[in-house]
Amino acid sequence: MPPNMLKAKVGGSIGGLDMAAIKRAEAAVETLKSDFAGWVGDDVERLSACRDRFAKKQDAAARDDLFRAGHDIKGQATTFEFPLVARVASSLCKLMDAVTAPGDVPLHLVDAHVSAIRIIFRDGIKDSSNRMAIELAEELEARVVETCELAA
Amino acid sequence: MSGYRFDRLKILVVDDSAHMRKLVTTILQAFGIIQIYEAGEGDRAWTVLRDANPDVVILDWMMEGMSGLDLVKLIRTSAQTPNPFVPVIMLTGYTHIDRVRQARDAGVNEFLAKPVSVKAILSRLISVIEHPRPFVRTKSYFGPCRRRRGADEYRGPERRVTADIAAVG
Repeated sequence: MPPNMLKAKVGGSIGGLDMAAIKRAEAAVETLKSDFAGWVGDDVERLSACRDRFAKKQDAAARDDLFRAGHDIKGQATTFEFPLVARVASSLCKLMDAVTAPGDVPLHLVDAHVSAIRIIFRDGIKDSSNRMAIELAEELEARVVETCELAA
Repeated sequence: MSGYRFDRLKILVVDDSAHMRKLVTTILQAFGIIQIYEAGEGDRAWTVLRDANPDVVILDWMMEGMSGLDLVKLIRTSAQTPNPFVPVIMLTGYTHIDRVRQARDAGVNEFLAKPVSVKAILSRLISVIEHPRPFVRTKSYFGPCRRRRGADEYRGPERRVTADIAAVG
């Protein structure tokens, strides 16, 4: 095995995770938390704008933009303290992953997801056990499963 | 204390979400990393990569234009790459096994599923420092060895052009 140059550069020794570094980083993340809702709000607005473009013209570019906007929310909203927004976005991505032809994507189901995301965000629901939001997510997920089965 | 001199590391963070870049760079700075480069899309990342020659790349998969996956392939195989061995940590909302396999087959070293956490980022960083995998070349692949566990037990046909090429530098 050739020498490990990265290890030679940074030194150190393996011995579990450095808890002091973790605490420092978690404290640094705390300082960002006041921005999180604004960041999710930006993403939700972008998703809505992508939905509007897709509704006007259901082509591949608009579909990809909508998928990317949903995928970003799916990946980020939990980190930014809106786990149920992420869950609904994940359902939207599953729908769009299964129905790839832009003209076949059911716009009413896209709209239902975007509306749900807007409502959960608007109401500031950060609690992952919120009953109303969970029921909304479960209903959408069931509709997506049905649609995916038909598309398969 | 692990005693890592993270201040000596150069890291490139590539994500089309400015918010996610802000979060990741904040965490890296708290670890003591000073030399952090950012790019919001693949083409810009490729330029930064060649100018700064980072030690580690943290990369989002889903980006407009050049995707993270395309960028990894470029890093590993382009004649213009400054360092085909640079460790790549793929940060992504994709978690399906097929996607993990796709990332692995592009030459990704570590896979970091969103939502991100401080511990997960540190653990992937330590993994690329402490456990570099030898690089292999086959007719269709160049990158870190994909036989992550039980490599010595592999009994399939030998496809590698060379047994191993180099450790991650």
